[in-house]
Amino acid sequence: MRIRGLIYISFILFYALNPFAVSNDSNGEDSNIIFFEKQIRPILVTKCFSCHSEEAKNNGKLKAGLLLDSAESIIKGGDSGRVISPGKPEESKIYEAVLYKNEDMAMPPKGKLSDKQISDFRKWILNGAHWPGKDMTSLIANHKDEEPYDWEKFRNEHWAFKKISEPIVPKVPELDHAANPIDNFIINKLHKNGISPNKRAPKNILIRRAYLSLIGIPPTPKQVDDFINDNDPNAFSKVIDKLLDSKHYGEKWARHWLDVARYSDGHGGFGDNKALPNAWRYRDWVIEAFNNDLPYDKFVLQQIAGDLDKENSVPIPTGFFVVGPTYTSDGGDPEAKAQALAETLSDRVDTFSRAFLGLTAACSRCHDHKFDPITTKDYYALAGIFKNTKNIDIKVGDKSVIDSHNSWQKAVNDTTKNLNSFLDNKAKELKVNKKDVEKSLDDESKKHVSQIRQELELLKKSEPKKPGNAHVLADSGNADMHVALRGDLRKKGELAPRSFIEIIEGKSRPKYSIGSGRLELAKSVIAKNNPLTSRVIVNRLWGWHFGNGIVRTPSNFGVIGDKPTHPILLDWLAFNFVQNGWSIKNFHKLIMLSSTWQMSSDYHKKKFDVDGDNKLLWRYQPKKLEVEVWRDSLLFVTDELDQSIGGAPEGEIMTSLRRTLYATISRTGDKFKSDNFLRLFDFPAAASTTPKRASSTVPQQYLFMMNSSFMNERAKTLGKHLSEKSSSRVKTIENVYKKLYSRLPEQSEIEIANAWLGEKPDMKTWSLYAQALLSAHEMIQIR
Amino acid sequence: MKFLEHEIAYRKATLNHLSRREALMKMGSGFGTLGLASLIGNSNASQSSTSPLAPKKPHFEPRAKRIIQLFMPGGPSQVDTFDYKPMIAKHAGERPESVNRKTLRNTKMGLMPSPFGFNQYGQSGKWVSDIFPHVAECVDDICFVHSMHTDIPEHAGGILMTNLGALQPNRPSMGSWLLYGLGAETQNLPGFVAMSPRAQPRGKLANWGNSFLPGAYAGSYVNINSMKPDAVINDLKNPSLDKSIQRKQADLLAQLNKLQLERVKKDQSLESSIQAMEMAFRMQFSVPDVFDIDKESEATKKLYGDSEFAKGCLIARRLVEQGVRVVQLNHSIDGYDIAWDTGHGDIKGGHSRLAHACDQGIAALLKDLKGRGLLEDTLVVWGGEFGRAPTSEGAKGRDHDHYGYTIWMAGGGVKSGFSYGSTDEFGLTAVHNRMHVHDLHATILHLMGLDHEKLTYRYSGRDYRLTDVHGRVVHELFA
Repeated sequence: MRIRGLIYISFILFYALNPFAVSNDSNGEDSNIIFFEKQIRPILVTKCFSCHSEEAKNNGKLKAGLLLDSAESIIKGGDSGRVISPGKPEESKIYEAVLYKNEDMAMPPKGKLSDKQISDFRKWILNGAHWPGKDMTSLIANHKDEEPYDWEKFRNEHWAFKKISEPIVPKVPELDHAANPIDNFIINKLHKNGISPNKRAPKNILIRRAYLSLIGIPPTPKQVDDFINDNDPNAFSKVIDKLLDSKHYGEKWARHWLDVARYSDGHGGFGDNKALPNAWRYRDWVIEAFNNDLPYDKFVLQQIAGDLDKENSVPIPTGFFVVGPTYTSDGGDPEAKAQALAETLSDRVDTFSRAFLGLTAACSRCHDHKFDPITTKDYYALAGIFKNTKNIDIKVGDKSVIDSHNSWQKAVNDTTKNLNSFLDNKAKELKVNKKDVEKSLDDESKKHVSQIRQELELLKKSEPKKPGNAHVLADSGNADMHVALRGDLRKKGELAPRSFIEIIEGKSRPKYSIGSGRLELAKSVIAKNNPLTSRVIVNRLWGWHFGNGIVRTPSNFGVIGDKPTHPILLDWLAFNFVQNGWSIKNFHKLIMLSSTWQMSSDYHKKKFDVDGDNKLLWRYQPKKLEVEVWRDSLLFVTDELDQSIGGAPEGEIMTSLRRTLYATISRTGDKFKSDNFLRLFDFPAAASTTPKRASSTVPQQYLFMMNSSFMNERAKTLGKHLSEKSSSRVKTIENVYKKLYSRLPEQSEIEIANAWLGEKPDMKTWSLYAQALLSAHEMIQIR
Repeated sequence: MKFLEHEIAYRKATLNHLSRREALMKMGSGFGTLGLASLIGNSNASQSSTSPLAPKKPHFEPRAKRIIQLFMPGGPSQVDTFDYKPMIAKHAGERPESVNRKTLRNTKMGLMPSPFGFNQYGQSGKWVSDIFPHVAECVDDICFVHSMHTDIPEHAGGILMTNLGALQPNRPSMGSWLLYGLGAETQNLPGFVAMSPRAQPRGKLANWGNSFLPGAYAGSYVNINSMKPDAVINDLKNPSLDKSIQRKQADLLAQLNKLQLERVKKDQSLESSIQAMEMAFRMQFSVPDVFDIDKESEATKKLYGDSEFAKGCLIARRLVEQGVRVVQLNHSIDGYDIAWDTGHGDIKGGHSRLAHACDQGIAALLKDLKGRGLLEDTLVVWGGEFGRAPTSEGAKGRDHDHYGYTIWMAGGGVKSGFSYGSTDEFGLTAVHNRMHVHDLHATILHLMGLDHEKLTYRYSGRDYRLTDVHGRVVHELFA
C-alpha cells in the first residue's frame, strides 16, 4: 500500500510540475487527459496495479496475463483477449468487470468501486480511453494479434512433430549377440556410456516372464520343464507363438488399453452417478480386437467412428468415449449446466488427445497451451466434434434375434397406436373426454376395443428373446462451436470450425463437414502425415513390456513431457510398425525375440551406479505385477481360477474366481468392495485416461495379505493341497516352489519350511505356511 | 513458479521458443516432481527409500500443524446462526432492491426475520443465535468470516467446491493436497481421516478422494455411527488368528522376503515391502486403540455429551493428538447427506435440531483442545458449502444463498474473538472484504505452511493446484 501510494503521488507531482507531459493537441484532448489523471489513473494505481502491472509481473503477482500500466498493454489485453474497446464501454471487458455483474470476473476483487468511480470509468472509455502521450486510435489500428506459436520451429525441431523416415540401424560388434535391430540401438548406446548389457536370463525366468507378460498367468511346472528341455533354437519363438494364440492374451492386453480408455462400468458419483450396465461389451470388443490382431489403425478408427463407417458399421468400439464421465447438473443453475457440459467435453478432448496423439489438448480449454502448439481454437475445433455427438444404447447380438425383437416391438407399438387412435376418434365423435370415452361406447365398439386389448396381451406375452444392449456414440448435429472465453461456455469468442489440430494439418487444414466430423477426425488421426499416432502406440507397447516407455510420459509427447531415451529407435519401431500393417502381435514378437527383452534382471552395482533408473536398458527392469496379474496368479496356483472369457461383469470380484479384469469398476472407485481392493494395489482411477500405473507399497496391502478373506481362502486351498500330498516333505516343498515361483527351493528355504511345519503339521499350520508363500514378494514381482 | 500466469511472457519469445519454455517448465516442476519421485519407488530405484507419507518440510514455518474440518453440508443459514442482522426484522416482508437477486429456486418473497433470539457473548461481544449456546461460550477463541461467497447455489457443486476447489469430482480433496504437501506425523495411522455419522456428505468419496494424486494421499473414511474400532480400516483384523501366531507368521514371511533380497542383492520395492509389512502388523493394534473413546475419562465424556456428532469430535481430538494431519468430520442427521438443507421448508424446526445435534460437541472440542494446549497449532474450521437467503421460501424456509455466507475458524494461528468481512445490511451478499472459497483454501494452506501457488502436481500435461488459478491469502485473519 505504502509503495503504491508513493507511485501515485509521484505521478501527480510529475504531471503537476511538467507541462509537457500532457498532450496539447487541443483543449478537448487536454481535458480528457486531465480527466484520466484525476479520475482514472488513481483507481488503476490503487485498485488494479497490484495484480496488473509490470511491477506485479516482476513480483510474480500478475493475474490473467493482463497489464494495465501502459496504453500498449491495455490495448493488447490479457489471456482472454481484448479488454477495452475505446468508445464502447458496454463492449469492454474492463467495464464489465468493475460493474460486478459477473461473479468470476468482478474487479477489483476486494470490493466494488463506488458508483461515481464506475461512472467515471464508463465516461473514460466512452470518450476514447485517452492515455497521456498516446494515440489510442492508431495503437488499435496497428495492433495485430500475434501468432501464438512459431509453428515451423515446432514442426522442425520438436521430436514428436517431425516426420518419421526409416532410420539407419547402427552397427555393433558381432560378439554382442544382437538378435534384431532393437538390440543394435540399445547396445550401441550402452557402449557409448561404458556399460555392457546383462546376459540372457535363465530359461525358467524367461518363460515365466513371457507367460506373465503375454497372458497374465504363470506357466505350470510342466510348461517350464518342457521349455527347459527343448533344445530347438526356436524354442522361445514357439512359446511366444503359442501365447499369442492363447485367448488369454487378449484379456491381458485389453486391460492395458482399458487403462488408457479410463474404462469403468459407470457410477461416476455426483453429477454422473448412473450405471453403464453394458459397458462390458466394449471391454469384450477390446479383448477380441487384441486376440484377432486387429491392425492398430483400424482399432483407432473404429473407436472414434466405428458407427459411421457406411460399409461396415461397428458401433460397439465407440464405447471408448461413452464409458467416460458425462456430467449433468442437479438444479438447473445455468452456470452449473455450462460447467457440466464443459467438463464432459473436456473429458472427451483430453481422452482423445492423450490416448491417440500423446498431446494434452485439454490444457487449451481456457487459453492457448502454455508449452505445446495447441490453441484454444484447436481445443474447440475438437470439442465441437464431441458436442455434435451423443451417447445412445443400441441392440446388439445375433441379427435374427434383433430383427425378430424389432418386429415384435413394432407389432406392439402398432397395436397400441391402433387402440389409441380408435379411442381418440370415438372421443371426438362422441364429444367426451378421452378418459371417459369407454363408458360411452356402443357394444360393437366395446367389443372391438376388447379385441385389440386381447391381441395386445397376447403379443406382450410372446416377447421373443431379448437382444443385448451396448452403449455407443451417434451423431447428433453438425454445428461448430465458438471458443469459450476462459473456458466459460457462456462467453463466446471466435468461431472454431471442426477440424484437426493446426500443428499437424497446417493453417489451411480441411474443415470437417460430415455429421459430427468424427469419421474425418479418425482419418486425420491415422493419416500418413500424422507422426504422432504410430509413435505413441509403439511407445505404449514398449512401456507395457519394459515398465517404462522410450518416452517415459506415454500420454504426453509435448514439450514438458519426457524426451525419448532412444529417439532413433522409437522412429525405427514406429516406421516398421506401420510398414508391417500396424500389427501388434508382430510387434510383441519383435520385442520379445530381442536380446534386450531377454536380458536377466540381475543387479550390478557398477551399472546401477551409472544408470540406476535403467534408462539405457542394461537389464530387464524387475517390476511389481499389475493387481490383475497378481490376483489371477494367486487363483491359478491354487487351481481355482475360472478361465472363461468375457461377459457381464462380476459385481464382487473378491468372492468370484473369475479373472480380475471382469470386476465391476465404478468410476468413483468406492461403489464396490472390489474397487477398494483394486485401488489398494494401484489400479488406476477410472475418472480419466491413465498413461502409466503407479506402483506403491503401503502397509494396507499387507493387511490385505495377512487378514482378508480372499487371502485366507487361497491359503486354505493351497494348505489343503499341500497337506494331502503323499510325497516326501522335500518333494512337496519343491513342487510348491515350482508351481508358485517357477523354480526349485534353496536348501535354506527347505529348512525354514521344516522349522515352521515341525514333525506333524496340522491343516492350519500348512495354511499359514501357504499364506506366507502366497504373500511373498516373489509372487507379486516379475523379474 | 508463476508460469500459470505468465503465458504472455513466453509468447513474446518467438525467437527462442523452445528453450524458454523449457526453462519455465523446470521452474514449475519443483515441488510436484519431487513429491512424485519419492513414490514410484521401483521405477526410480536410485532414489532413497521413503514412504509417501513421511513428513515433508513445509514451504515456510506453519502456524497450524493439523486441521479439523467440521463440515456442515446442506447450507447453514448465516442470519440464523452467526451473522446477526437486526435490519431484517425492521423490514420484514419487504423485498428491498439489495436482496432482489435470483436464488436457486427463484423465490420472490420478502425478508423473513430469524425465528431465533440473538445475544452477545464473551469479551468480543459477539452476537450469536440462541441455537448455539455452547459455541457461544467460545466466541473469544473464534475467528468469524462473514464475507464468504462461492460459484453456484447447488449442493453438489458447492460441496465439491468447498472440499476440492472445483465443481466436478475430478480433483483431489483439500485433505489430500495437505497430505501430499506435508506428509503425516504418524506412520501407524492414516494421515487423513474423514468421518460422518450415518450418511456420507453428497459427493461421497470425492470429498476426501485423492483423484489424480497418488493413492497414499486418499482420506480413510470411517462411519462413526456403526463404528467398530476393529473395522475402521479394511482387513484390520484376522478373524481367526491371535496375535502371537500372527507374529510368528509375519516373521516367517519376513524371513522368506529377506532371503529373496539376499538373492537379488538390492531391490527397492522389496525393501519397502518388508517395512510395509512390519507397519501393517503394528497398525492392527494402534488403529483400534485411537478410535476407542471408552478410554476417555468420565469428565471428558461428559464435556462432549453423547450425540453422534460429539463422538466424532472426541475421536477427532484423539486422532490429531496421535499425529493425524487432517480430520474431516461431516455433519449428518437422520442419514441425510445434506443435513442442513432442511432449511428450505422450516428454518426454525430444522436448524434448531441440527444445531442442537452438534453444538455441545463442537464447543467441547474447542475447550478440550485448548485445555491440552493443542488448539494453538490445530486449526478448526466450521462451515457449509453456502448459506441461506434472508428472504423467505414458503412461509418458514429459506433458499440457498451463494452470494454471501459465514464460516469460522479457531486455533491454528488465526485471530481469536475476531470477525472479518461482512454481508449487506440484510445478510444476502458479501460486500466487504469478500472472501471466495479459493481464498479460504489459499489461507488454510498458508496457515499450514504451504504456498498455494507452489503446491502443484503435474498431471495431464499441466501443474494443478488446489486453488486452480485463483486464491488470495487473507493475512488479515492471522494472529
